[in-house]
Amino acid sequence: MDVLVNVMHGFGVALQPVNILYCFIGVFIGTLVGVLPGIGPISAMSLLLPVTLSGTPESGIIMMAGIYYGSMYGGSTTSILVNIPGEAASVVTCIDGHQMAKQGRAGPALGISALGSFIAGTFALVMLMLVAPSLASVAIAFGPAEYASLMVLGLVVLTFLTQGSMAKALLMACIGIVLGLVGLDSITAQPRLTFGRIELIDGIGLVPVVMGLFGLGEVLLNTEQVIKRDIINAKITQLLPNKEDWKASAGPIGRGTILGFFLGILPGGGAVVASFASYALEKRLSKHPERFGHGAIEGVAGPEAANNAAAGGAFIPLMTLGIPPNVVMALLLGAFVIHGLQPGPLLITQNPGLFWGIVASMYIGNVMLLVLNLPLIGMWVKLLKLPYNVLFPLIILFTIIGVYCSSNNVFDVYVMVGFGVIGYFMRKFGYEPAPLVLAFVLGPLLENNLRKSLILSQGDLMTFVERPISAACLVLAVVLLIAPLLPALRRKREMVALDEGV
Amino acid sequence: MTDQTRPPFRLNNSELWTGVLGIALGVFVIRSGLKLKLGTINDPGSGFMLFYIGLLMCAFAVTIILASVTEGGPTFGSRWEGASWGKPGAIIVILSAYAFALEPLGFLISTVPLMLVLLRVIDPVRWTLAIPLAVLAPVSVWWVLKHGLLIQLPSGMFEIG
Repeated sequence: MDVLVNVMHGFGVALQPVNILYCFIGVFIGTLVGVLPGIGPISAMSLLLPVTLSGTPESGIIMMAGIYYGSMYGGSTTSILVNIPGEAASVVTCIDGHQMAKQGRAGPALGISALGSFIAGTFALVMLMLVAPSLASVAIAFGPAEYASLMVLGLVVLTFLTQGSMAKALLMACIGIVLGLVGLDSITAQPRLTFGRIELIDGIGLVPVVMGLFGLGEVLLNTEQVIKRDIINAKITQLLPNKEDWKASAGPIGRGTILGFFLGILPGGGAVVASFASYALEKRLSKHPERFGHGAIEGVAGPEAANNAAAGGAFIPLMTLGIPPNVVMALLLGAFVIHGLQPGPLLITQNPGLFWGIVASMYIGNVMLLVLNLPLIGMWVKLLKLPYNVLFPLIILFTIIGVYCSSNNVFDVYVMVGFGVIGYFMRKFGYEPAPLVLAFVLGPLLENNLRKSLILSQGDLMTFVERPISAACLVLAVVLLIAPLLPALRRKREMVALDEGV
Repeated sequence: MTDQTRPPFRLNNSELWTGVLGIALGVFVIRSGLKLKLGTINDPGSGFMLFYIGLLMCAFAVTIILASVTEGGPTFGSRWEGASWGKPGAIIVILSAYAFALEPLGFLISTVPLMLVLLRVIDPVRWTLAIPLAVLAPVSVWWVLKHGLLIQLPSGMFEIG
């Protein structure tokens, strides 16, 4: 009953005209960046982070959340029609989605993708609504030791799931922690690694780092080669899947939704892992696995449901524990902090309007996305024809403006250009930026909780293993660190390894 | 970038040198941690975390170096095989120049040429599209930010914008 009252209260917040407008802007921009290859939700959210300052916290966060789950919807359009994933979570959709489009079944592929996403997104919201308050009440009992261990686990999971060498991913995570520690020490107020620059006293900004590594770094990499686009030009008809399509897709959507939701909750997991895991699961369960890769609708329905459910699930660790499980959630944490709010166990009780307002806005946003995605497919296809040599200067322009507006400081533009160059070379040499960014956000929190727990326990390291939750997190982290040394587990890791860690 | 072929160990093995760079960064972080004071285990100082993270960085970098020696690794040249490195190089140079010009010249005076250069030099767009886009995009963004969101972009020494 309480939940219903809270949801009604949330709808009261989300249905305010200004919040509906922000929600619409969020899902529209999300779909747009999902559709456009070369710009993803991370860049768009960093770009719009300063804009959230002009409204209430509810409006800003509703818009940021809309960009995230909106991009999950939009990403499938490019995968199906152009065979280029709009963002990392839609890579798998290319395999069967584009084959379906080539066979003249682009309509049902786009339709099942949008409807599957809607079903999964709605399920994730119901679960978020039911799980988050109970988890938050448990999380109140968390002390610094639990938080420190949970953050260690989050970083290890992300490095485990990152593509390529785990040593490289761990090195990136360490560099991220160091970068996060630049500025005044929160306990002793001593400046660290500031090199006498006054601009670094408050630390390095999240926006220039993310925009540099993901926005500019990606542009530099994309300009190296000609992007080929195999756009399906035939008129797209019959968007609603037929009875056979529904029959084939119902199971994959259901399984993808549940799998995606739980993978989304895991620190370090997320939409990308969920979509790959769902595809592998459907192929394994199928009576005709040979159809996969040749236009099987199950290969579109499952992963699309999974990535949307994961996007919803990822809100749980942020809202209940205050720990972002991936880079996108780290940016959302940034939006909370900008407004002087701290997500965590107390958020739901202290700011019920904000929490339930965000949840309710996601219902509204999911309906908006269904309306946006199906009738506006033609418009998105036209956008896809925008050549990259016109698009990339615009991305650079918006990147510069986003970074400048986040702090009104030209120094951050230097930082962004610097990290853009670093991001480009990192990708060239096989170092993924996702662990660096997540560690950059978690680093100061990790240090703070680690030092607090050592002070509270008078230097007794056993405090981390005597507390059950902390011990469980550390044991799991150790298992994941050792896992790549075992050949069987190494193969499994390579199967689920992801590109961007989002 | 995926490493499909692993050539035998060579001195221009890129993995080796990124590992060496990792060690150098790790040593720098350890040194910074020591300078900031480690404190004690029951009262860790400002350099405590940096010191131990620096140690971990060195350990991971050594692992990367060992893997590059035992398994080999791609050369610097092969990392750019089939890619035109000139374009990202040019963008980096252009953006560095822009970053330094932004504050003294102001947003509008520096951004319009930036857009024009990016549109014409990297992967040329026809003049009839490049000029209007290079002018209209920065001007409209500047207008929206200034009048819609009340955000002031740098106006520079000429105070334009």
